[in-house]
Amino acid sequence: MDHHTHSTASPRELQMARSMCWHCQSEVAGEYFCDRCVKVQPVSKELDYFTCLGIPRRLTIDQHQLENKFYELSRAFHPDFYQNKSTAEQTISLGNSALLNTAYRTLRDPIERAEYLLDLEAGSVKEIRNSPPADLFEEILELQDTLNEYRTTDRASETESTLRAKLQSERNTLEQRQRDMETALQQLFVQWDALQDRGEATGQARVERDRILKEIRENLSNRTYVKNIVSDLVSTIG
Amino acid sequence: MAYSDKVVDHFNNPRNMGSFKKDEEGVGTGMVGAPECGDVMKLQIKVQNDTIIDAKFKTFGCGSAIASSSLATEWLKGKTIEEAQKIKNTDIVQELNLPPVKIHCSVLAEDAIKAALADYQKKSDGVLTDAK
Repeated sequence: MDHHTHSTASPRELQMARSMCWHCQSEVAGEYFCDRCVKVQPVSKELDYFTCLGIPRRLTIDQHQLENKFYELSRAFHPDFYQNKSTAEQTISLGNSALLNTAYRTLRDPIERAEYLLDLEAGSVKEIRNSPPADLFEEILELQDTLNEYRTTDRASETESTLRAKLQSERNTLEQRQRDMETALQQLFVQWDALQDRGEATGQARVERDRILKEIRENLSNRTYVKNIVSDLVSTIG
Repeated sequence: MAYSDKVVDHFNNPRNMGSFKKDEEGVGTGMVGAPECGDVMKLQIKVQNDTIIDAKFKTFGCGSAIASSSLATEWLKGKTIEEAQKIKNTDIVQELNLPPVKIHCSVLAEDAIKAALADYQKKSDGVLTDAK
């Protein structure tokens, strides 16, 4: 094989080279290794994490399946196994391992997984940016004032215990709200997966799809706001 | 990453913290949030004869977010509506020397200014049509 010709390949040829083994130029049929020369192949940066880890694009996933695939691929790509290989192979192993780790970390956590899926899907959803939840904001800012007031009152004073009781009750309410939001989010996950399983391409299915994505977006945003104020409450009143 | 002296100053001595009554005449309220970090910002302006005579803010967030909104209220005071429209987040970044990871705080402040101005204009337009 004339390596010189290959290095001056036109963009068109380079595009074709993607499904070609970088080493022996034979077509790569295997997932990450060339069938012919058994060299490791770079995982495409455009590959989404779900595909990379061989699991369906769903919000409820089989953790065991995810973990097994991750371990399997980690063993295949780990830089330790490439120390005696060529520089090109070392670079590929490093790149693949990095991508694999990010993919696994993202998909393992349900919230990060949902955020990631929104990123993947949101491109085609209009108006996914919801309007800010003004009521929640007012509530947070008001609570913030009470917190400041509490921090500056004398310990063991009557005002202190009144404020403390108020903050404690706010905390209970907000924590209940967090649980409700969690339940709602789980339901949205189930709805999304069911919609994907049905695989309909109707206009109605599209509307449903956009609604679910928008509601997930909303839930995840509000979740961050509530989480922040709750952790502030917890660190102040303990 | 350490905060710049200006950020620390605004954080320790926030200017114009507080709020106006939303329905007060000439008051415009901007309420914005950043879902990525959970910061919430409320910025209000009080307008008389097309000039912002007072501004107040309340922010729940990191030091940079507080400093950005504090600085924004300082800049808004005395400006006309038209001048206020021209405040850019990059001006805030420059003044406070914000590091790249905190640029979103300045964006939030600019959004809050825009929202407050829009709210004021919406309200005053309403007043004008009512008067007719």
